[in-house]
Amino acid sequence: MQDSASDAAQGTSHDKAPAQSDGESLLLRLLRQWGTIIVIVLTAAGFSFVSPYFLTFSNFNNILFSMIVPCLVSIGLTYVVVAGSFDLSVGLCVTTTSIVCAFLIPVLGPWGAIVVALLVACGIGLINGLLVTYGRLSGIVVTLGMMFVLGGINIYLTGGYQVAVDYTEKAFRWIGQGRLQLTDDRKMAIGVPVIILAVIFAMHMVLFAKTRVGYYIRAVGDNAMAAFYSGIRVYHWVIVAFILSALTAGIGGVLLTSISSSAQPVGGEGYLLEAFAAVFLGATVLGKGKPHVFGTLLGVFFLYMVNSGMNMVGFPYAARQLFAGIILILAVGANAALNREEIHLKFI
Amino acid sequence: MAAPETPNDSAGPLVATVDLEKQFAGTKALKGVSAQFLRGEVHGLLGENGAGKSTLIKILTGVYAPSGGQILLEGRPVEINSPLDAHRLGFGAVYQDAELVHGFTVGENILLGNEPGGAFVSSGAIHEEARRILGEMGIELDVYRLASTLSAAETQLVTLATLFHRRYKLIVLDEPTARLSAHEVDILFGLIDRFRKQGVTLIYISHRLGEIRRICDRITILRGGRVSATLDHSEITEDRVTELMVAKSTEDLRIENDGFSTGDVVLDVENLSAGNLEPLSFRVRAGEVLGITGPVGGGMEQVARALGGITEHEGRIRIDGKPVTISSPYGSLRSGIAIIPEDRRRQALFPNLSLANNIALPMLENLSRLGLVREDRKSRYAEGIIKRLAVHPDLPALPVKFFSGGNQQKAVIGKWMGAKAKVYIFVEPTAGVDVGAIKEIYLTILELAKAGAAVVLVSSAAEEIMTLSETVMVVHDGQLVHHAPKAECSHDQLLTLSLGGRPKLAV
Repeated sequence: MQDSASDAAQGTSHDKAPAQSDGESLLLRLLRQWGTIIVIVLTAAGFSFVSPYFLTFSNFNNILFSMIVPCLVSIGLTYVVVAGSFDLSVGLCVTTTSIVCAFLIPVLGPWGAIVVALLVACGIGLINGLLVTYGRLSGIVVTLGMMFVLGGINIYLTGGYQVAVDYTEKAFRWIGQGRLQLTDDRKMAIGVPVIILAVIFAMHMVLFAKTRVGYYIRAVGDNAMAAFYSGIRVYHWVIVAFILSALTAGIGGVLLTSISSSAQPVGGEGYLLEAFAAVFLGATVLGKGKPHVFGTLLGVFFLYMVNSGMNMVGFPYAARQLFAGIILILAVGANAALNREEIHLKFI
Repeated sequence: MAAPETPNDSAGPLVATVDLEKQFAGTKALKGVSAQFLRGEVHGLLGENGAGKSTLIKILTGVYAPSGGQILLEGRPVEINSPLDAHRLGFGAVYQDAELVHGFTVGENILLGNEPGGAFVSSGAIHEEARRILGEMGIELDVYRLASTLSAAETQLVTLATLFHRRYKLIVLDEPTARLSAHEVDILFGLIDRFRKQGVTLIYISHRLGEIRRICDRITILRGGRVSATLDHSEITEDRVTELMVAKSTEDLRIENDGFSTGDVVLDVENLSAGNLEPLSFRVRAGEVLGITGPVGGGMEQVARALGGITEHEGRIRIDGKPVTISSPYGSLRSGIAIIPEDRRRQALFPNLSLANNIALPMLENLSRLGLVREDRKSRYAEGIIKRLAVHPDLPALPVKFFSGGNQQKAVIGKWMGAKAKVYIFVEPTAGVDVGAIKEIYLTILELAKAGAAVVLVSSAAEEIMTLSETVMVVHDGQLVHHAPKAECSHDQLLTLSLGGRPKLAV
């Protein structure tokens, strides 16, 4: 074609057309990317201004310690949300694993009990995953059902009483209660479960960002049809996401048993709501717009930091709840405003 | 049906289908298709909408399972139950409704499912490999761009790139040029040639006979779920093909707009600008068909998007002399503008609702009494439209997702027929629609004009513009480069204009 020169020019002109983001201000781009992190830092600065005890090693340690189980639940849930589904059973999965673990320690010893408890968690995830994919059921419905089923099983197994772990199980209790001394100062110690959390978080960072697992789960959640046509085993990866969610929550359950030397028959629903808050808060971190493991960690940290700070300043529980809710809506709202879609037609 | 030979030697066809059948919700889409695809040939697949082309290739690529019959690969029967099976056997496809993962980059999309490296994925390696692939294909695109920022044509090219690096034996291209500009079509054909030389078999589905003749070695024509004929390159003539496809002679397809416009200006647009479209003014009279053409992404789409209330725009719009504000599709409809969008699957149809419900949806208010929809009136209304547009199959209760592309398009047009809009905007009304249905759609458009509506036709097909328009506008790089009655411009001139060449022509 003799018009090849002008065709080439036309080609480049298309390239420009959709890239309207070039024109947006630097400030807007910085806000989108760093906004959430800036808010976290400013909030921390505010609290440390009001309370001298806020910005101390021991308080930081306390915050980390209090967020161990919710953080694990949230990280697991991240996979399912990224895959485009919901897992409402994560909270009770923690309780069930905790109970199974506590029950089996006298029978199988601590290590055997941990392994079986985690297998049970994987089984819960597998059932959720199979029903959502091959069973063609909605993720919300399936996991809502699973939540009630687990609640029933928990009461049935325990008869409504807490299950205590024997005082002699020193090794098992060390997992949740041990401390590693950093310096001679007794205050400078890190809890063993905090270290476990850090290790598991690091593994998830790699799994989510650097391996096929995270990569394909993201692809499936973004456009399952395109993934299907690309020869990706969509069902396989959705099931993997559900298993990862339940397994990570299960690790939280085992740690919970060890931390409190017992398993409670009820509770766990609270983790679920916190986890969703953390995952959606985390989606705004670094301007990704979609949940990611690092964002989820910051999301949980933020919620617990605010809780601790407001506690120190003397706010009542009601105010803390109110504040957490407002923060969540503001963060997600700001993110939506910064990532404005041309037409917004999703209401889930 | 003739018994197919069973080739055992490697000289036989690469892939053959034997009496392939497929049934959907009671309708038979394939009624025993036996076809052979030779090694290293470009094999055209033609047929009317609903003739079974898409069904056939979706079976070959594992999206649907056949209800009967066999697929032979190099003479041996194979089972294809999922796209993954198809990939393993070396069958790949670019579907008409192919989509990309929007949150992934161009590079990640190209290598999706086939990333270099082991369990760990390296972003650097993926993008380097993708850049190499695009370079080899002769496509200039930033591999780090997000798929969500690509234009329709760019999306199509990226989908093609996803095939390039997988060592396929058989590649199916379903309407690959529907959204491409002439330059991009050249890139595609270069690519097809390269595949052919490597011994890859290509199945090429298109409604554009010019392309078929240019690129295909043989063609198979489907009609009503059966093979109508297989022709060699030398036998491909317009008359022959059309006859085999629709059993109607080409003479019937010649349609001409004799001009129905009257003096009254219905749509008056002043200094309309939106997106990459520079301020543009035009008027459409009652009964007039204004054709707007140009390269894909050059700005012509913005006219339709602005008038349809989808994009924010500036400028003044008047209908019947009264100024109107259009800020949403609802506002657009209230002002008397009906838009028939290009992407019917996503923008116009409710796939799980029945054909009748899809058609009657905008009219429900008129078909109700005391707020309750009168079922009898609704079905009578829908059946009338179905008959008028010859929608096939004639089943008002069938969910619209089971209809072929052309018949879905008829449903979309039918949806607005009773709305008595003052302005109808058609965007690429025959993309992915076959000869027989094209004629009916053209007649419907002209009928709307004859009844006194102002019609705006946005299309990248010069032939369509020449057939239907009374006045022609060419928009290129967001600017109006030509605006005149059809008589002042020939088909070839129009083509050159829209390709971006700018011969000195009266503006």
